Amino acid sequence: MTIADRSLDRGTFASVCCRRLILTAVALLSAIGHLGATDPPGKPRRIVSLNMCVDELILRLAEPQNIASVTWLSRDPKNSNVAELVAGVPVNHGLAEEIIPLNPDLVIAGIYTARTAVAMLQRVGIPVLQVDIPKNLDDVRRQIREVAGLIGEREKGESVIAAMDRSLAALPRPSSGQRPRAIVLNPNGATVGKGTLVDEIMTRAGLTNVAADLGIDSYGQIPLEAVAANAIDILIVSASRDGPPALATEILRHPVLSALSDRTRVVVMPGRLWNCGGPAVVEAIERLMQAAGEVRAEAPPK
Amino acid sequence: MSHAPAFDVAKLAPVPPYGVLVAGLAILVVILMGASLAIGYAPLDLMQAVRDLLQGEKTLATLVLTELRLPRALLGCFVGLSLGISGAALQGLMRNPLAEPGIIGVSGAAAFGAVTVFYFGLAGALSLALPLGGIAGAAAATFLLYGLSGRGAGTMTLILAGVAINSFAGALTSLALNLSPNPYAVTEIVFWLLGSLADRSLPYVWLVLPLMIIGWGLLLISGPALDGLTLGEDTAKSLGFDLGRLRLQLIAGTALAVGSAVAVTGAIAFVGLVVPHLLRPLVAYRPGRLLLVSGLGGAALTLAADISVRLLPIRPELKLGVVTAIIGAPFLFGLIYRLREEEA
Repeated sequence: MTIADRSLDRGTFASVCCRRLILTAVALLSAIGHLGATDPPGKPRRIVSLNMCVDELILRLAEPQNIASVTWLSRDPKNSNVAELVAGVPVNHGLAEEIIPLNPDLVIAGIYTARTAVAMLQRVGIPVLQVDIPKNLDDVRRQIREVAGLIGEREKGESVIAAMDRSLAALPRPSSGQRPRAIVLNPNGATVGKGTLVDEIMTRAGLTNVAADLGIDSYGQIPLEAVAANAIDILIVSASRDGPPALATEILRHPVLSALSDRTRVVVMPGRLWNCGGPAVVEAIERLMQAAGEVRAEAPPK
Repeated sequence: MSHAPAFDVAKLAPVPPYGVLVAGLAILVVILMGASLAIGYAPLDLMQAVRDLLQGEKTLATLVLTELRLPRALLGCFVGLSLGISGAALQGLMRNPLAEPGIIGVSGAAAFGAVTVFYFGLAGALSLALPLGGIAGAAAATFLLYGLSGRGAGTMTLILAGVAINSFAGALTSLALNLSPNPYAVTEIVFWLLGSLADRSLPYVWLVLPLMIIGWGLLLISGPALDGLTLGEDTAKSLGFDLGRLRLQLIAGTALAVGSAVAVTGAIAFVGLVVPHLLRPLVAYRPGRLLLVSGLGGAALTLAADISVRLLPIRPELKLGVVTAIIGAPFLFGLIYRLREEEA
């Protein structure tokens, strides 16, 4: 059954049938579509993303007319690297009720977000791809390839990866000298340790991730005392400390951090550059390399 | 324990001299403050840090000590002092051992006032707005309570009024947090309902301390009138006490002390219940003398609870209110049980 047939079917149904019948039809049709997934399927024409990181991937990879909906978070240029591409694309809030009427032929979700909607969509037979958070640059490449393949944009995927790899290769190698000690401090005292994309970016920029040295695996909380007492050269904070007030973000403005400022450099890193795996990680590495270079220039040679 | 004779025996038990009691509690508070400075998340040589500090050296150890541990210890002491004195004062005013800022909704209303001011940016514009918001909430609740349940009202009326104020203030706090433009705000209701001293900073201490001192002062000078009030209102009046002024003084003092405390640490419950209850026999049931003694006891209890959340191997650390409620709730049950027998 082709995509054109499916939309035609849906149109006919919609004009005469009640909502329940549409749901059943959608479920059946999607189930049929899903069964044939091993063969090269037709390009999905109504792709829905339920995750902000996925938004960026499909906005970069898919033809705009094939995107049925992305999350509302990506409309905000503070959150998203591709906010300008969202104009004209409908947005969702991760609710099954918003998604089912769009009759998507492919839904892509993160494995930790919108769990209720994903379960509901699977129950009515809509094909759902769930992607993990990339743990390193190889994962990023693999994920771009996987999503590009599934939406029939293999070549575009390869060109995005190639462009990212070219920019990575163009970065100067970090000098072999001192590796400045750095730590990430996010709202609520959250930090990032071993086995994460952030850790690889920090290492690639020539930094020592102190949170990883302290034994924090993936994501964890770090007391301010540990931040203050560990002789940090670079403190990486997310940009959200300038947002509306909350206790979570107030910690980023604690006086102890400004008291540290004569020995610690603060780098403001917008989450959009490295929370999701994508070409933006290059800019994240650049920013950290610049800070590392400044620390090395100031420090007396050992 | 629930039998009436225990009460009489306690009354007859020898009472330590007031000065000795106050000095003993003060020493306990100082020791606990020292412990609070010594215990934390980063290894710190306290003696070395103090030496560096005295020599004017700015090391990482002195930073941890002055910017993180000192505000925590000071706030633990001051907030506990506020809650302890206010608990004793409210119990004297309402002549009911269950009157406690947390139970009767004063702390909850203070939290709502502070939340409104903090999350909508007013505190960013004027830092004094934060304690003032808490004080306004606490004052509104205390006036409302006094109007609803009056002096010497039955326990039932007082507790029901507290339940009403607490749930209303809790709902409004939740509403305000939901309306905040910051996505983290909605998860922070736990802080406002249970209280915590984690990561508070020195500017907060200096912000609330003057207001608290005025509050403590207003409550402490009410001591003699509270003693007079135990003889009944008419007798107190004939002794020359102005009861209208006394009420205003106690309500204003409680609002200042509890309102500014809650504005920086959230609502820490039960401190004002447990402490006066434990110490009352030691001052021969004199509400005037109970004030200062309860304040010191409250400081000691809050400091001890805050030390314990840092020692317990639970991360992220427990909210303070969890510990004080585990200690305090059994006291509340015990008190209700005994009052029920007395009223029966």
